[in-house]
Amino acid sequence: MPKTTAIDVLNLVKRYTTYERIGFFRKRKKVIEALKGISFKVMEGEVFGLLGPNGAGKTTTVKIISTLLLPDEGTAKVLGYDVVEEANEVRKLIGVSLSVEKGFFWKLTGRENLKYFGMLYGLDGELLRKRIDELIKMLGLDELNAADKLYEEYSLGMKARLSLARALLTDPPVLILDEPTLGLDPPSARSLRELLVELAHDNNKTVLITTHNMFEAEIICDKVAIIDKGVILAVDTVEGLKKRVAKDVALEISFVMPAKAHMSSLLDMLKNALKCPCNISHNENVYRLRLVINVNSVDEITSMALKILHEMKCKVRRVDVKEPTLEDVFIKLTGRRGFK
Amino acid sequence: MRMRMLSVLKSGVLLDIYFFKNNRSTLISLMLWPYLMLGMLLGFGLIFGSTSAFKENIGMDVNPITYFVSSTVVIMACLGLLWDVAGSVLELRWIGALPYVILAPYRISLTLILSYVPRYLLISVIYLLEFTPLIILVEGLADGILKLGVIFTALTLGMLPMIGFAGLLAVLFIMMEEESNVLSWLNPLIMLFSGAFYPAYLLPHWAQTISRILPSTYTIEMARLAALMGSPSMARITFLMGLLIGFAVLYNILAYSLMGAGERRAMQRGAI
Repeated sequence: MPKTTAIDVLNLVKRYTTYERIGFFRKRKKVIEALKGISFKVMEGEVFGLLGPNGAGKTTTVKIISTLLLPDEGTAKVLGYDVVEEANEVRKLIGVSLSVEKGFFWKLTGRENLKYFGMLYGLDGELLRKRIDELIKMLGLDELNAADKLYEEYSLGMKARLSLARALLTDPPVLILDEPTLGLDPPSARSLRELLVELAHDNNKTVLITTHNMFEAEIICDKVAIIDKGVILAVDTVEGLKKRVAKDVALEISFVMPAKAHMSSLLDMLKNALKCPCNISHNENVYRLRLVINVNSVDEITSMALKILHEMKCKVRRVDVKEPTLEDVFIKLTGRRGFK
Repeated sequence: MRMRMLSVLKSGVLLDIYFFKNNRSTLISLMLWPYLMLGMLLGFGLIFGSTSAFKENIGMDVNPITYFVSSTVVIMACLGLLWDVAGSVLELRWIGALPYVILAPYRISLTLILSYVPRYLLISVIYLLEFTPLIILVEGLADGILKLGVIFTALTLGMLPMIGFAGLLAVLFIMMEEESNVLSWLNPLIMLFSGAFYPAYLLPHWAQTISRILPSTYTIEMARLAALMGSPSMARITFLMGLLIGFAVLYNILAYSLMGAGERRAMQRGAI
């Protein structure tokens, strides 16, 4: 059966007016264009990722779709309802989590918070009680009696689970989650990701998440939109995006730098000589140079890179040629290094 | 629609019950506060004057305890409504819960107002119950109950026009760029202009003009008349009840139309 469109975003534009203080009483008006006409569609039962660095426009997009912000131009629809004209209808169809670390009453327990929000969203009585019990169990909040602890005693992982529980209270067909795993420890993040995939694939819920975590987008999203500076650079499946760099490979060189060497000068030398985007990350004193290059130029570029590293007195530990990742797609599309 | 409004009201009741259950010290301080206020007023009064001087100054033969109890209860409950509805916006923003309250499928201002009206009523009843023994002791059983009844009527009717006012303030707070706490300077001004502790007719003319357009002025006057409770006062009380209902209609219609524009502006600016 063909899937229907759950979220339809067309030419969204959003400008923020801010005022820069230039004196004690004087302010200068500044207009920031957060979204520059973005469009994308999310199908029912899909996990859709909005992937981009901080300030890319991800949160602005989800706030508009969640009816919390009015766009300046363009339209957004959730299951056919316009987010501006039919905001109340949209609110009945969505579950939202904008921040995992706050958004609840500190002096109430997790269960009491859920009861309050459930009632506010129109649930009541036995139905609400059962739903809360169900969610507490589903999200593992029953472990260590977390549900009956005050919210102020919650760990970040528990807060994230409670935030998702609230989003699921009314059993909405569409979930909108802004950075749902931000700051979580790896086990908590992993279980939350598994749950999101389960909700989408087994319960036919549409999940729109924003993330700046490439790995997360790659493992849970059916489709990804890469957004940067208010513009969507590409929308496709993870595989589809990777095909854009199908003729490329990722060359990875691990090395140790001498104590007196400067990272910035090394990076400049590499960029000038290799003429391709370079990404250097490090884990303690081992650095990792990652280059996305054409498969035919692997030998030439490898020898050039090794020569430069040798000149800088770096000790090369390992050289790998790998399949490109989503991060490489991002580097290719934006022309600059990734963000995670 | 009625069911939905009821559910918002119920959520407000639930929030208060949970809040007071988990914060017993807040409940105790809430109960102590009106007595401290009353004690301070009477204390100052007795230091600088006497009961007879007080009666002479305000031109009424009234027991200062009943007089200040009614003023204290009414003004604290009235301002409590402003604090609870408008101040709640600041609190919700600080704890990050504002977007989730707004995501309830109703109008923003309606959600904010309805979920905090129960707190107003609850606090009003707590204050009244607290002062009940004192009023009965001073006025006697029959008179005391009657006066408490009038004070409660004043509180309930006085709340109605304040709702629109509080809703407007709530939307204003959502729109505001800098989260300065306007309430902390607005509340004392309202207390002053409403004639909370000294009758409004003792204020300068320009202040009396402001006083006349504030619904809390009439709520306070009504509660204060409860301290006299002679037959002329009953006629005045009936008049004031009508006036408060009129104000409620006027202020709420005005507020309703302005709130819509305010909500839109707030959502345009990304203030939520």
